[in-house]
Amino acid sequence: MDLLAQVFVNGILLGGLYAIMALGLALVWGVLNIVNLAHGAFIMLGAYLSWYLFKYLGIDPFLGLPITAIVMFGAGYAVQRGMLNLIVRAPMFNTLLVTFGLEVVLTYLAQLAFSADFRTINPSYAGSNIAIGPVVVPIVRLAAFGVAIVLAVIMWLFLLRTRLGRAIRATAQNLVAARLYGVEPRHLYATTFGIGIGLAGVAGGLYGTVSQINPYIGATLTAKCFAIAIIGGLENPLGVIVGGLVLGIIESLAILYIGATFGDVASFGVLVLVLIVRPSGLLGRTA
Amino acid sequence: MSINTLRLAGALFGAVALYSAPAVAEDLVLGASVQLTGPVANTGRYYKDAYEFTIDKINEAGGVKVGDKQYKLALKLYDNQSDVNLSVRQYTQLITQDKVNLLLGPFASNFALADSAISEKYQVPMVQGGGASDQIFSRNFKYIFGTLAPASNYFGSTIAMMKELDPAPKSVALLYADDSFDVSVAKGTRPLLTDAGFTIALDERYTSNASDFNSLLSQVKNANVDAVLMAGHETEILNFVRQAKSLSVAPKLYSFTVGVPSEDFRKALGKDADYAYGMSAWLPSTDLKDRWFGDAAAFAEAYKAKYGYAPDYHAASGAADVEALAKAVEAAGTIDPKAVRDAIAKLNFDSLYGTVAFGENGQINLAQTVVQIQDGNLAAVYGGKGFIEKPKYPMPTWDAR
Repeated sequence: MDLLAQVFVNGILLGGLYAIMALGLALVWGVLNIVNLAHGAFIMLGAYLSWYLFKYLGIDPFLGLPITAIVMFGAGYAVQRGMLNLIVRAPMFNTLLVTFGLEVVLTYLAQLAFSADFRTINPSYAGSNIAIGPVVVPIVRLAAFGVAIVLAVIMWLFLLRTRLGRAIRATAQNLVAARLYGVEPRHLYATTFGIGIGLAGVAGGLYGTVSQINPYIGATLTAKCFAIAIIGGLENPLGVIVGGLVLGIIESLAILYIGATFGDVASFGVLVLVLIVRPSGLLGRTA
Repeated sequence: MSINTLRLAGALFGAVALYSAPAVAEDLVLGASVQLTGPVANTGRYYKDAYEFTIDKINEAGGVKVGDKQYKLALKLYDNQSDVNLSVRQYTQLITQDKVNLLLGPFASNFALADSAISEKYQVPMVQGGGASDQIFSRNFKYIFGTLAPASNYFGSTIAMMKELDPAPKSVALLYADDSFDVSVAKGTRPLLTDAGFTIALDERYTSNASDFNSLLSQVKNANVDAVLMAGHETEILNFVRQAKSLSVAPKLYSFTVGVPSEDFRKALGKDADYAYGMSAWLPSTDLKDRWFGDAAAFAEAYKAKYGYAPDYHAASGAADVEALAKAVEAAGTIDPKAVRDAIAKLNFDSLYGTVAFGENGQINLAQTVVQIQDGNLAAVYGGKGFIEKPKYPMPTWDAR
């Protein structure tokens, strides 16, 4: 019983980390209709940025998150204005090709710049935990989980309540109508993409504190994010949290009960199941 | 012509000159495909650096003498981007288009397993120092030789040591990744453990490249095992150790097939790397005499000076591969691949890596020395003759460090 409780908690905390990785991907996908295959590569870059801030400037990885987010926002804004804007209304296949190319380029540039050495963001508290009865809760994962929830709620309020958020949603729903009301889509698209990449940067900083960083972590993370976004649905940031949690818990339980090679089988199995039963995601509106 | 065009032209000429160099008549060209980019680039670089380093050294000493002709060694190297299928194509290209004379290997068992089918098909010998899986050598292939100790016996010396520890561990968890090398390790380790009287309390295979070990670690903790033996890749082992700390999982001993001997591992983990056990078939000792480098310690020193990081057994194994080919060509008195193959099979010489002699199946047999990270340094703790340095055992709990 203790084991089950522990594994369940592990799954929830893992889910929080997954969710924060997928938030940006889901936002960009939902608004710009671009499945950003380079999302994982941006997570990787955010992780390196946090690592440099920690290693050379001594900035705590959690306190450094806003810096990472702002820098990555700028990078995302520039990439969208300079490159992705050219294909924003192109067929899906073109956007996949371009973002895939971007992922390859970023990955290899990262190896040139950072080498293939493994890095970890290892502040003194990185391995600390609190024990609740028989269950051990690693504090870094708990904090990452907290950051994920807070960011999802902020995103949700931002999209629902603010002018800019409404403009983003309006553009996603009906571009022509939004333009008639004075929305400038180029700036708006770039801002949205920037926010998505900023979120990826934050996810990278958190990932670096629980795992290791090398230039090649991106591709698998993109696949995970993709699954989470589909499971949770694209309409609502809170759906992404649900998607992350579902995936985290199912993976952890599958490893416990079926075997450690079945984590991915279980999570992508759920993906297929969701696509069949609720194609617009668990929290998505049913058609 | 603008400056840029001139530069471009210069670069192109440079590149052409570089690539046409191995075509000079008196060169003996060794071909290899190594992971220079992609997820295993971190270990792949050991092979590239070791190959180049050793070839330069042999050429400095005049190259190799074949009959009455003097050859310089040259290297034709491709980057397989950590992709097995690409490496198979590149080895085919090395033989059929680049017409290299002999082959050096890639890193990792799954690569060597696939690539050795090419050397076998074209009957060009490959001496590889990157694949240890017993699978590679169980197919009666004639043209594949390996200088890594057999995977099935990676934990042999560790288990011998465990029997002599006080208090002796009783229950063991065996964790391994689902690839050729690690499955071979697990297969070989099981009977060693049961014969030595240990109970295998947990026997779990996990997905290669897994990054989350919390569920497995919770099971390890729940089973309350004394020792954890893990066969996996360096990234997984880094994650395992970090997550073990965050879940307060501290068995009396844990040992890993890779990572521990390499400097990079200790750098990434810092103090948390302490107490981890590993094994190495090679340590840079002055006892290992070498024709070209003097001895293993001199090799390690010169290597580090040139590349900026310390060589581990991967690099030494790669260097031994080049030396084995050089020796075999000299012994054969010809560069004909079939004759060289027979000469490789008969090799028996002392090198910086140890005595290089291949068994009937093509694999070397070397004993593994148990190593442990103690206060950030690598210490050899147990070898064929018993304890070398006192192991730090049992591992304290994480909050008592």
